[in-house]
Amino acid sequence: MKRKTGTTVSRRNFLKGAAIGGAALAGGGIPFIVRMAHAKEGVVKYGTMHPLTGPYSALGTDQRNATQLAVEEWNAKGGVLGHKIEWVHRDDQLNGAVALRRVKELVEEEKCGFIGGTLSGAISLAINEFANKNRIPYVAYCQSDMVLGSDQGKYGFAFMVIPYSAALATSKYAFEKLGKKWFSLTADYRWGQSLLEGWIWQSQQMGGQFLGNVYHPLGATDYSTYLTRIMAAKPEVLVMNNLGADQTAAIKQMSELGLTKSMKVVCTKTAMTTMKEAGAAYDENIMGGMTFYWGLKDKYPGAKKFMDTYMKKFGQPIEQDGESGYVATNALFMAMEKAGTVTDKEKIVAALEGLKYTLTKGPEVVRACDHQREQSYLLVKGKGKKAQGWDLADIVAEIPGASIIMSCEDNAKKLPFANVKLP
Amino acid sequence: MFSDVNWTVFFMQLFFGLALGSIFVLLASGLSIIYGLLDVVNFAHGTFAMLGAYAVFVAVSLSGSFAVGIISAVAIVALIGVLVELFLLKPLYGKDPLLPLLLTFGLSVAVPDLVKIVFGLTGKPVAYPEGLSGATLAGPLILSNYRLFIIVFTLVILISLWLFLKKSDLGMIIRAATRDSLMVQVLGTNTSRIWTIGFALGTGLAALAGAIAVPMLAATPDMGVEMTMTAFVVTVVGGLGSLGGAIVGGLLIGVIVAFTSLVAGEYSNVAMYFCMAVILLIRPRGLFGESGRE
Repeated sequence: MKRKTGTTVSRRNFLKGAAIGGAALAGGGIPFIVRMAHAKEGVVKYGTMHPLTGPYSALGTDQRNATQLAVEEWNAKGGVLGHKIEWVHRDDQLNGAVALRRVKELVEEEKCGFIGGTLSGAISLAINEFANKNRIPYVAYCQSDMVLGSDQGKYGFAFMVIPYSAALATSKYAFEKLGKKWFSLTADYRWGQSLLEGWIWQSQQMGGQFLGNVYHPLGATDYSTYLTRIMAAKPEVLVMNNLGADQTAAIKQMSELGLTKSMKVVCTKTAMTTMKEAGAAYDENIMGGMTFYWGLKDKYPGAKKFMDTYMKKFGQPIEQDGESGYVATNALFMAMEKAGTVTDKEKIVAALEGLKYTLTKGPEVVRACDHQREQSYLLVKGKGKKAQGWDLADIVAEIPGASIIMSCEDNAKKLPFANVKLP
Repeated sequence: MFSDVNWTVFFMQLFFGLALGSIFVLLASGLSIIYGLLDVVNFAHGTFAMLGAYAVFVAVSLSGSFAVGIISAVAIVALIGVLVELFLLKPLYGKDPLLPLLLTFGLSVAVPDLVKIVFGLTGKPVAYPEGLSGATLAGPLILSNYRLFIIVFTLVILISLWLFLKKSDLGMIIRAATRDSLMVQVLGTNTSRIWTIGFALGTGLAALAGAIAVPMLAATPDMGVEMTMTAFVVTVVGGLGSLGGAIVGGLLIGVIVAFTSLVAGEYSNVAMYFCMAVILLIRPRGLFGESGRE
């Protein structure tokens, strides 16, 4: 009756099972159901990808919602040049291989003429390459290096700052206001390293004293083991070049040891989800960078209009990664209007270059030379126990886009960061 | 040789490693008990830990007490464990041994999605308990009170568990059933009930691990994946179905992760798997695995 006698799970089966399960966990996801679609006459078809499952699904959902809002607003006023917009989206699972399959589906099966989205810089590079090869305009929502050096392409546009700009904005503030002795905790992948390069370069320009860096793998759960070196180095500023659960856990464990009281923590990029998840530990000693915080609605009428509509529809404020999606989607359709066509991609790309608009912040421009949205970067600080609902942070500074964007010539050659030596 | 500072760093790292290892021990001992007793490879082990973390969040929000949070977490998750064993696992006994594995794997995918529907995509914070925040200074060492609590608490749990298994009648039956359940059944004990209790015990321990880990992280729907993997690594290193193995394996992995973080931080996760690979090569049954088991 019972399996103890006959069909015992042997160690071999246990390991085999563990291996199968492990592979399935790592691969993740549910098989995708293929839907065939055909390009309809007179319809503008826009396809996007977002991580809707996995640890970053909250941010992916923001991106999707923002795109939905933008498309609905355009359709409500009659579409683009009288053409209805049809929007489809896919879950890229924050996985490069999955994202490439999804973008092929969007283009080849769904017949999307324009693509957008993604939350990961690395994925945006792969999508950008695909877009340029297939001559499909692509608007990226995330921090991305795709506007630099050989990754620049005619059809790709980046609507969030590049990592270097985030690092320049936060480091300039830190060295001026918080202290020059700094130590960093960096997630060990390209994005984290790009941020670190930015910090090191700025430190050299402003006479900062770089005490050291610790790399941690993505998804490390214990940070106390990294903190020993930081405690021994006694920096004035601890820089965090990481995101999400990594940042949450690091902040919580620093506060556990009282470190947030003895040094200022500066997160080069932070998020409202991190503040929510870290709770009271994300206090006024923690500062973070963002391209958008809903509190901007007190400063800009465009932000107020955007946030009021968004809140009414989705019940909570949006993260920066969603805001960039809203702007990217709008800019794409604005470019079509400016170009006077919804089909001639060359003309639409040309219209996106140098496109000027005022949407969610002050007046902005999509720079023609490198296809980068020139925008400001915010520094916020936490509210700790005083945080209530979505009132999570105070805006400390808004650093103008012009002061943190690299010159066209530098971006083309990836200077000056290409010369920075990483520890 | 080592200067004073280096010794400080060494002991700090050892301390953090042991605290981390303690959580691993709780996780792995639960997995080990379930495997030893039921022969079920519980792929939802981390999922139960995640449920423990959410249970703490709910209980602490309602009661304001971390102690109440921990107790409710264990009780609630053990009860869920009972229901899962009775209604989902039991029908699979005696069939293909891969079926329970597939079932628990399914749970590890479905339950986090349910949690997302109930609690939302953003994780939930649990503050450090008031009395355990801050740090104790021991000479040059800065020992976090919460980590001290984790180590002591784990020790208490393990001693209780050991006493329960060694000294109580029920514990003795559980140990006997782990060795030869058919014989236990022949001797007139209802082993079916023992399996239910064993599964509840194992999932309760997983919940405990999730519960004491959550103040250091946040309760997030996907946190279980990593915890399942860790529990498997520790169990394989320590030896399947061995409580002693779970303890030594857990502490060993904790300390290895801690020292790798110090010298080559980016490899701290890899170190864990490397250690497992080495153990598998030189001692395939794990440090304390019984030679009887293949």
